[in-house]
Amino acid sequence: MKQTENLSAALPPTNPAAPLPPKPLTAKTLPDDEFFFGHKGCAGCGGALVVRQTLKVLGPHVICALPAGCMSAVGFNFPQLSFANNAMITPFAATASVLSGIEAGLRAQGIKPEDCTVVGFAGDGGTADIGLQALSGAIDRNDDILYICYDNEAYMNTGIQKSSLTPFGAKTTTTPAGAHVHGCLTRKKNMFQIVAAHDIPYAATASIGYLNDFIKKVQKAATIHGTRYIHVIAPCPTGWGTREDETIDLAKEVADCGLWYLAEFEGSQLCGMPGGKYIVNRRPKEFSSVEAYLRRQGRFKQLDENDVQEVIRERDIAWAWLDDLATGAK
Amino acid sequence: MKRFLSGDEALAEGVRLARPNIISAYPITPQTVVVEHLSEMVEQGRLDAEYVHVESEHSALSCALGASATGARTFTATSSQGLLYMAEVLSYAAGGRFPIVMMNANRALALPWNIYGDQRDSLALLDHGWIQLYVQDNQEALDAVLMAYALAEDERVSTPVMINLDGFALTHTYETVDIPEPEQADSFLPPYRTKNKFDFEHPVNIGYSAGPEFNRYYKHAAHWDMVDALPVIDEVEKRFAEVFGREYPGVLEEYRCADADRIIVTLGSVAGLVRQVVDDLRNAGEKVGMVRLRYMRPFPAERLVKALLGVGAVGGSSEASGEASGDDNADDGARSKAPAARSIAVLEKDISFGAEGTVFTNVSSALLQAITCAPSASACGIRDICNFVGGLGGDDISYEQVEGIFALLKRRASIVEDPNAALVDASAEASNAASGAAKAAAHTSPLDPRKKVYFLGIDSLEEGGAR
Amino acid sequence: MGEGINGLAFPSFGPERRGAPMRAFTKLSTKTIGDRSAVSLADYVVYLDDTLLGEDWESELKPGGVVLVNSARVFENPQVIALDANGISQEVLGRPIPNTVFLGALSVLMGDEVLPEESLREAIRLYMPAKLHESNFAIVDEARRVTEELVAEKGESAKVATSAEEAQAEAAPAEAAQAGGGCAPEASAPAPPEQNALSPESYAHNTCFEAGYLVAKNAGWRNIRPVIDPEACTGCLQCYLYCPDGTIYKTEHDPNREIPRLAGQLPFSETHKTPAANEHAVAPVAVDYDFCKGCGICAKVCRFNAITMEPESDFGAGQEVR
Repeated sequence: MKQTENLSAALPPTNPAAPLPPKPLTAKTLPDDEFFFGHKGCAGCGGALVVRQTLKVLGPHVICALPAGCMSAVGFNFPQLSFANNAMITPFAATASVLSGIEAGLRAQGIKPEDCTVVGFAGDGGTADIGLQALSGAIDRNDDILYICYDNEAYMNTGIQKSSLTPFGAKTTTTPAGAHVHGCLTRKKNMFQIVAAHDIPYAATASIGYLNDFIKKVQKAATIHGTRYIHVIAPCPTGWGTREDETIDLAKEVADCGLWYLAEFEGSQLCGMPGGKYIVNRRPKEFSSVEAYLRRQGRFKQLDENDVQEVIRERDIAWAWLDDLATGAK
Repeated sequence: MKRFLSGDEALAEGVRLARPNIISAYPITPQTVVVEHLSEMVEQGRLDAEYVHVESEHSALSCALGASATGARTFTATSSQGLLYMAEVLSYAAGGRFPIVMMNANRALALPWNIYGDQRDSLALLDHGWIQLYVQDNQEALDAVLMAYALAEDERVSTPVMINLDGFALTHTYETVDIPEPEQADSFLPPYRTKNKFDFEHPVNIGYSAGPEFNRYYKHAAHWDMVDALPVIDEVEKRFAEVFGREYPGVLEEYRCADADRIIVTLGSVAGLVRQVVDDLRNAGEKVGMVRLRYMRPFPAERLVKALLGVGAVGGSSEASGEASGDDNADDGARSKAPAARSIAVLEKDISFGAEGTVFTNVSSALLQAITCAPSASACGIRDICNFVGGLGGDDISYEQVEGIFALLKRRASIVEDPNAALVDASAEASNAASGAAKAAAHTSPLDPRKKVYFLGIDSLEEGGAR
Repeated sequence: MGEGINGLAFPSFGPERRGAPMRAFTKLSTKTIGDRSAVSLADYVVYLDDTLLGEDWESELKPGGVVLVNSARVFENPQVIALDANGISQEVLGRPIPNTVFLGALSVLMGDEVLPEESLREAIRLYMPAKLHESNFAIVDEARRVTEELVAEKGESAKVATSAEEAQAEAAPAEAAQAGGGCAPEASAPAPPEQNALSPESYAHNTCFEAGYLVAKNAGWRNIRPVIDPEACTGCLQCYLYCPDGTIYKTEHDPNREIPRLAGQLPFSETHKTPAANEHAVAPVAVDYDFCKGCGICAKVCRFNAITMEPESDFGAGQEVR
């Protein structure tokens, strides 16, 4: 960044004027254009839906970068190139740093269109594990990029191995479920909290089960300058052990039963409040059954009653934390 | 403008004159001074570039990669462990054919932890598709930056360049350096223009995956484009001399080799020392010489063999190669015949554990290939050695191809045994340009790299000809 | 395997995902098999799904070779042996898992010297959980019985092909390619592009290529397809919104409306027209069957039951070969 710009981006704004929220796009008003098409994702792939809808919202002046992972593996295999917009593959750990380079390169040459978004799509492993350092660096520099983590809760591209976003109790090929251990023993790393702790201008969680909410967040992110992060749950029927047509149902249910939440964080740059502001977009009056959500998936088949109770207990702790943050901000 | 500068400072001046759009680098001793100086230049407005403060070497090169894909001129610099940390990105940059220029301060690798100079870092990464240049002094470090961009960005080459400076011996050692004027630099190095970049009018996908049926074509192109960079290096240096008045000897430098009975082959800053010893021993009447390898990739095998075996040592013509080699030994009877037998030593700051120094491997390989192709070589039991590259990117190697290799060895043997075949064939360049298998076979120079490396599935195994 | 027979088995890896057709290869020989490259001409080609049996089925078959196909249909061609493997498996296991059926069939065709029945049973004992042994033995028995009948019915041609193969299996590697999953005659690997459009000279000097360049359709993945009832469809567009492949599009009630795509996105220049369910009623949305993978999400998110998933075989997939 040029020194002057760097400074202005780093300093908290004295008179913050959050951009007006754009008119929400709906199924009726979304452009017809398909920018992610003819890909080789599994039937019923949640990640593909994330990429498809994001690109429809952002329009043609997009450059996207994808690290090694499902979406790059299924998205461009020469000569079957499924991205109709500018797109690039990156080293696994380098989604954010390549995005930074693209954005800086365009800007330095004065060739960045006004409505251009430089957007990355990385999976849970590419974000929370190997790509975390580069992401942290980009947020620290407040580079003008949109980073989308499509979270299918394991390394699906390599055949379902545990990542640090694999939830407790999930069976993967590296956390097999047996008599001794019931699948994954670690908890899901809290990426939302991690990026918020950087005082990122904008962060959000979403689920493809609530696409209108996700689309709204992508629209909002597109109007904000600086680093933006959206973490979207994108079920993987292959890795989760479910039927292909259950993807959307599951993505709704994970939010309905409270194991995922739809929330936003507006950093101090955006909201003008020191430490930023948390917003819960959807708080179910009553959670649907966690057990029902778990039991319909092959990966949780081995969980016993105690395990399920543990999952519920942790859900309640997470919500207490989130409610506390959201209320504290008011 | 003459200044007393360290190698790092001289290199930073070269970067300033090259006007990169994007600099992304992470500090590591002994490269640090470069990034400090560049940051300062950006702050003072002496360099109109974006300086991206990346959090690691991996991100440094990744950021340069992304920027290069927008058509920006990019620079990064590193050393040692940092180079290894970004190693995976080297293949992305080279595979995508992005003309990034990187300075590497040659430094030892841990453990034991050691910050001082040796060349094991870059030599361990010869195979990643980067052009590798080793400079011997601070002036060359500065000039190399301008020439590296000219070379890397040449459409025929489109390959990233790594400029290697010996840690401390160059990076932290001060000497007088002539800093060219910006106008001169601009006239030598125009802004970077490419089609290998994002385009909002005609969008592109960059750096996709390509399976077994396509992969080999990319690698074939990368290999031959790199080989074909050899004459481009000479072109660039010629143009550089015209603009700046400083001449460089091409891919390698021969020093008092023509009649030498002992030659040291080396690279980097230690060449200065070897040169001094050569001079002293020459004064004492001893016939010694030096070859300084400037480029390790592309590897100047042909010129190296000419220098070490002596032009016309075994058949063929000695015309023309005297000038081409640009040797610096007119004062000691350069045109005198090479001795009947010669000893060669390779001096390098590298060891490939369990084998030998990597430069030695490369030099020996070039010599072995030349010697085994001589008509007299079959006496020692080997008359030919050549290289078949297959199975790239998961491609199958077929039964028929293995059969074809044996058949080709048979045909080559009949060519190699031609007593009229020259070991160092002055007409090799001419025959390179000629097409047609029959003609290629008739004019096969055993040193022609096109007749040494065959890509299975691309090059014909019929007759004697590759490409 | 038989005494002194060596085997080598490997899949063809690709970027395709669950549901995509894939290929696997098996080589058998009396000698050590050193060649690990893919099989291009096979003695036996096994199709685990009959919709994959396309017009070019002979191109990878050695002269006198045999095709085995998982199908309830009857084929006239003597070189094509159809086994209702799903049916046999369903009968015994209660699930349509066709693999073991074809092992049984191959043991009949290859004969005891190459693939003895007892070796097959031994393999089942070694590689399957104990609780599956008896049921798989039963499948092998039934597969062998049916195959023997079929060979008898097919008469001379099948016999000749089979016995020629047996002789060959002794002398040279016998090779079988299997195809499994998916449906329809579309090849899963990208077709070699046209020379003029894609010569290495034009693409291989960097990795920068026209965005959205497509050479293959994904229809081959599908064995059920969404069918939209124009009467029931309200045009709420939830199916369009949630389709992961972007294969549902708005028709605006025009049966001739071209599928809206970005210019140049379909270089194989198909004319895409809305397939009208009937002449008088065009639903507000339609499906691009060239790329739909049949995941069923559209049917699931439809609140008006306007979309049903129907078997691909009802639409004539894989009917080219008789």
